[in-house]
Order: sequence, then C-alpha cells, then structure tokens
Amino acid sequence: MMSGLKILLQQKKAVAGLIIIVALCLMALFAPIIAPGAPSARVGRSHQPPTVEHVFGTTKMGRDVYTQFVWGSRTSLAVGFATGIAITVIGTAIGLIAGYAGGRTDAALDLATNAVLVIPNIPLLILLASFAGTVGPLAIMAIIALTSWPWGARMTRSQTMALRNRDFVTAARMIGEPAWRVLFVELLPNLLPLIGINLVGSIIYAVVAQTTLEYLGFGDPLQVTWGTMLYNAQNSSAIILGAWWDIGAPAAGIALIGLGLALVNFTFDEIANPQLRSGPALTRWLRLNRQRNRSLGGA
Amino acid sequence: MYISSRRLGVYAVALGFAIVMNFTVPRLMPGSPVDAMIAQLGPRATPAAVEAIKARFGAVEAPLAAQFLDYLKGLATLDLGVSVKYYPQTVTEVLARSTLWTLFLVVTAITFSLVVGTLLGAIAAWRRGGRFDTVVSPFSVVMIAVPPVIIALTTLFVFGVALRWFPVGYAYDPSLDPGLNFTFAGSVFYHAILPVLTLSPYLIGEFQTTMRSSMISVLGEDYVTMGRAKGLTAATVMLGYGARNAMLPVLTNLALMLGAVFGGSIVTEIVFNYPGLGLTLFTASVARDYPVIQGQLLLMTLATLGANLLVDIIYGVIDPRLKDGSA
Repeated sequence: MMSGLKILLQQKKAVAGLIIIVALCLMALFAPIIAPGAPSARVGRSHQPPTVEHVFGTTKMGRDVYTQFVWGSRTSLAVGFATGIAITVIGTAIGLIAGYAGGRTDAALDLATNAVLVIPNIPLLILLASFAGTVGPLAIMAIIALTSWPWGARMTRSQTMALRNRDFVTAARMIGEPAWRVLFVELLPNLLPLIGINLVGSIIYAVVAQTTLEYLGFGDPLQVTWGTMLYNAQNSSAIILGAWWDIGAPAAGIALIGLGLALVNFTFDEIANPQLRSGPALTRWLRLNRQRNRSLGGA
Repeated sequence: MYISSRRLGVYAVALGFAIVMNFTVPRLMPGSPVDAMIAQLGPRATPAAVEAIKARFGAVEAPLAAQFLDYLKGLATLDLGVSVKYYPQTVTEVLARSTLWTLFLVVTAITFSLVVGTLLGAIAAWRRGGRFDTVVSPFSVVMIAVPPVIIALTTLFVFGVALRWFPVGYAYDPSLDPGLNFTFAGSVFYHAILPVLTLSPYLIGEFQTTMRSSMISVLGEDYVTMGRAKGLTAATVMLGYGARNAMLPVLTNLALMLGAVFGGSIVTEIVFNYPGLGLTLFTASVARDYPVIQGQLLLMTLATLGANLLVDIIYGVIDPRLKDGSA
C-alpha cells in the first residue's frame, strides 16, 4: 500500500490531479468563508459581465455567479463522490461474489451484469427521473448508482476469477477460513488497484451523469449545483445573449474536476498495468538503453 | 457466422429488463401519471384516447399479469401507444421522424472518431514514451472525463456564437426544400459539423486509449518482430502487422460504448437544437409525454442490442478462433 502511494506521488500527472481535486474540495468545504452571502440572493443587475465587485459576473436573475459557483461545488462534489463510492461498492461486491462463487451464482450475476451494461444509461436515467418528477440530490444518487455498477462488476469478476485458484487462496480455504474472510482478507487487498481505477472512473461518471440530468431539468431547480447553474443559464439563453460567464463558471468547475480525476486515473492505470507505463520508469529505462547502445557503439 | 447462445441470452435478458422497466415504473410511481397525461391532452381528450392511455399505464381494473400480456401484445404489433404532446400521432410516428437524424449524427461521429482515434492510439503505442505519446495519451483520458454538456456548450459558444462559423441549430437551412441535390446535402453536412465535433472528443479518447493498450501488447508479438526483420517499412509493420491485429478490443469497446454515445447525442441534439431522437426525448420529458419517453428507451435499447449483435458477427468473421468456443 505504501509503495503504491509512493509510486502515485512520483508521477507528475497524479500529483497535478490530486492538487486540483483537493483544491476544489477545500473550496467546497470553506464556502461560507471564501464566498459569504446566500448564493440565491439578488445582488446586482441582470447579466452583468465580470467586474471587481462580481468577479464571475451575474446571472439573468442578478445573482452573483462566483458565490453560486463556490456554493454549487458542495452538492456537485458531494453527490459525485458519494455516488462514485456507491457504484464502486455495488460493482465490487457483485464482481467479487460472482467471480469467487462461480457456477450458477456466477452465471446469473454475469447475465445480469451484461444485460444492464447494454441498456443505454442516459435514456434509462431519463425514464426513471421523468416519472419521479423533480428529484433531489439523493434520488439522483440512487438512480445513477443503480444503473451504472456493471463496468466495475465486470472488471472485478474477471480479476477475482484469475486470483481464485492461486495457491494462497486455496491454502486459506484448506485451513478452514470462512468464505467472507477469504473474500475480504485474502482477495480484496489484491484487488485494490482495480478498485481504485473503478472508484475514480465511477466518480467521473457520476459527476457527468448528475450534471446531464440536472442540465436537462430533472434536478431540483432551487438547489444551487453546477448542473442546475447550467440549466438556469441555458433557460435564460445566456449563450445566445453572449453571457459566457454564466455558463463558463460551472462548465469550468465540471471540466476541472474531470481533469483532476482523469489525471489520477491515468496513473492508477499504469500502476495496475505496468505495461502501459510511459512515465519516469520507462523514460529512465530508455535513457539507460540509449547510453548502453552508445557505449557499445563507441567500443 | 457464429454467435454464442450465451450472448443471445444476454440480449434477451436486457430487452426483457427494458420492457419490464417500462411496464412497472409508471405503475410504481407515487401520484398518477395517467391523470397528468389526461390533463395534458386537454380538449383533445377523446374517450378513445383516455381509454388507450389508461390501459397502457395500468389505471384499469385487471390483474397485473393480464395487463402485462396486453402490453406485450401491443409491443409485438409495434404499437407503442399515442403521444400525449402530439396526439393523435402515435409514438411510432413521432420516433420515426427523428431516428434518421440521430443515426446520421452517431454514425458520422463514430466513423470519424474511429479513424482518428485508432490512428492516434497506434502512433502513441509505436512511439511509447515519446513526445507524441506523453501529450496525446493523457489528453485522451481527459477527453473521456469531460461531460458532453461542457463540450457542446463550449463549441456552441466559440464556433456558433462568437466566431459565427457554423449554424447554431436545425439539421439543415429551413428555407431549403429537402431533396437529393447538392445544395441540400451541403446544408445538411454544414449543420452536422458542430454536433459531430461535439460527439467526437469522447469517442476519440476512448478509441485512442483502447487502441494504445491493445497495440502495446500486440507489438510484443513475434510476428511483429518478424515483420521488422523482413525489412518492411515502419508504416507497413505498424498498420498492417500491428494495428490490424490490435483492432479487436477497439471493436468490443465500441459495442459497449454505444449506450454512452446515445447519451452524448441526446445532450448534443438539445444544445444544438438538432431534430433527432434526443431532442424528441427532451421535449417529451418537458411535456411529461411518458409514452414517447418509454418508446425512446425501447428503441435505443434495441439499437444498442442490434449494434452489439452486429459487432459479434463481425468479430466472428475477423477472428476465426472464436468459433472454437474457446473465448
């Protein structure tokens, strides 16, 4: 685990990604300090461009975009992270059980996984959301989590199947360890890099899906989130009127969190699958190789 | 031609799941969607229309099993019910209008991205760790993580509103009459450029990433060394020996991504006011036109399943090893 963290911190991309994520989380956490005032208060004229007083400008309703941006990050990030965790837990549990149990349990779970995987997610989300009417963050979370676990389940299942017949697992079974102990103490630690990839990917997906649903108007329009900010901006035709700041702020926030997570995931991928590496390790090896060739050529 | 019965089983379950969702969700939800829909119909609510809506959404005195059977019978005869917003048009008519536009958009974007993405992936793998790889590969991963909403709004603002290079709505110039002539075809392409450019970054990112990792393992194979040893040009070895064999995982990934592509096209069509299935779905969801929303889910599920089946068939042709049932 320590060595994994060490590799992670050696990678410039991962560090850059982590810095972005931590900065955004800190902003959400300290929202009352860095952006005092209610995000839905009318503080200026309609669609004012950025000025010293309103650094990100104002919305059609005369609300301060900066305050909304800072406060909106709270729900957007919280729902994104919580949903990502929920997706990962469901996917990992189903994949572990299917891969370890084998036989009929596996056949049934694998069938369900593949079936949910091929059903287009967003139309399904829209069907559920439109019948539920306007939905709060919790309902959005539940809807996303219940429709998007199959990716993780598939990855975890195949990795578990590869590990299942290793000697250490057989040994643990032989000395009579109960199934839950084999699963959680023997197998789970070996799946950590995979779970990491799954978690980061799921958070990215959750942020995207949540934004999409809210942008389409299925969120609670009174809640200030990056998604509902986009929805309100779209409804007040901010883009056509040239009020780019109204759309730009939430869009930048979502793009930034996506960038941060993607950078971390790229490194996770390389840790789990060293073949893909192109970072320091490979560069060092290439340099070494070149020097060796040169010295050979010189000799 | 070979398709495993297991895959067919998966598709059957997926279709069944979509149908059961369509059937149960309106019946489980609190409040009555039926009343809302009848209210929405207003003066057009003839007894026949009310009856049709009631039967479809379970506001009738019949056991659930009988209702479900009726529902299945309706589906089998392609009767998806009537649209509430466009009554008396049926759902099938409403969907038929927009399907072609979405198909055009999605197929163009996939073809374009497949060529660009696999090429970028192949080159990145060929020069792994080089300057090209260290710039393009992380960029692809980032492209996957940026939501289509953001890309759509950005391209709309930059190229549509600020620079005014491209139109910001509709599938063709409304002043033209649809017909098979160059002016019309040109207008269709001109209007499709921004939506296609919006759909592509995600696809290119996915194709590039998959291609790169698949190509890296292929390049380690003996036949690639053999190709080099024969003194073939780098391009021949890279494309004819490496890329050709590395394409298989990309195809699998393409089948799995279709759902996400449809999701992306929904958002893109809404932002660019493009008259495809996504825009229809959006107007339907705003008007709470449940029959259309349901028909949409079924249609998109069927399309995804059909495309998966097609990929399975192509796979069997490209990779004869699959016929042994070993994979």
